[in-house]
Amino acid sequence: MSSVRGFLWLVGFLLLGEALVWLLPLPVSPGVVGMLTMTLWLMLRGRVGEDIQAASQPLIAVLAMLIMPGVVGVFFVTDEFAGQWLIIGVALVLGTLLSVATTLWLMQRFMPKADPGE
Amino acid sequence: MSDGLAGLRAELLSTPMLAIGLTLAAFLTGSRLFVRLGRPGWCPAVLIAAMMLAATLAITGIDYDDYRAGAGWLMLLLGPATVALGVPLYQQLPRIRELWRPILYTLPPAAMLASLYSVGLAWLLGASPDVLASLAPKSVTAPIAIGITEQLGGVIPLMMGGLLITGVMATAFVGLLSRQLGIRDERILGFVLGVNGHVIGTVRAFEHGATAGAFASLGMSLTGIFSALFLPLAWRLVGL
Repeated sequence: MSSVRGFLWLVGFLLLGEALVWLLPLPVSPGVVGMLTMTLWLMLRGRVGEDIQAASQPLIAVLAMLIMPGVVGVFFVTDEFAGQWLIIGVALVLGTLLSVATTLWLMQRFMPKADPGE
Repeated sequence: MSDGLAGLRAELLSTPMLAIGLTLAAFLTGSRLFVRLGRPGWCPAVLIAAMMLAATLAITGIDYDDYRAGAGWLMLLLGPATVALGVPLYQQLPRIRELWRPILYTLPPAAMLASLYSVGLAWLLGASPDVLASLAPKSVTAPIAIGITEQLGGVIPLMMGGLLITGVMATAFVGLLSRQLGIRDERILGFVLGVNGHVIGTVRAFEHGATAGAFASLGMSLTGIFSALFLPLAWRLVGL
């Protein structure tokens, strides 16, 4: 029953997210608003209850499975973007190389050297 | 004979159960194969599972749209799962408080650039607007990225493919560059992996150690939140 109660909490926060997005035309998805309000609620309570833990842990564990129907689609849109695959590949690989280099540099610049945590 | 099989296929596809069953089976088999192969960093479990599922659909002649209509029931759970990410985020708050200054300086530019480098390159090379919108959330964890792509008018399957490639490449580049530059601070490596490589980078970070893993989850969730706020606004400003 614990996980059912926890799942009701998650659904409740998701619905709250939907309502907030509709009320204050936010440019964010309801799930993200639900996640943030959930975080705020946990901060107010000061702990993660057993119910919410019981429902959220298994869901997070199967996140990869929940996105699979979308991932599989990439093998079936090949024709649609026929002329652009090279562009997409270059943009992804080069863009990722540049952003990894920048983040490493920024982090090294601003991270306190204090404890050599290894 | 083949008429009979086609009839059976149509009958089984009349409810979402076949699509759901195929997804569960591919996920479990993919995960097992991933462990059997020694957890290769360049080939995450989702990729193996997705390729097997795509092959199964092609062999059995199931139309992707039919599959997608059924599996959509499974994807409904992504909403509550995104809300559930609030739990690890809450658990990492003490670390955010401790290091709020470097995080504040690093995260916004890093999360913006993770998207802008690729979108900019694709734009320069002449990609169409729906491709640009699909590449924008490339470093964002999937459940949040789906919401962003829908808002920007991108194509979800293409975005997912981009996510996969980005995660794999980010993991490879972090390994390569950190060795070149002699960076061994687990906090930095973890954070960079999470910001650029979302879930795939985070899984790799946990192999470095618990500290790297915690910083990767932190970088991943903050990038997700920041991008969910920033990208739709940026899109609206540019007028795409």
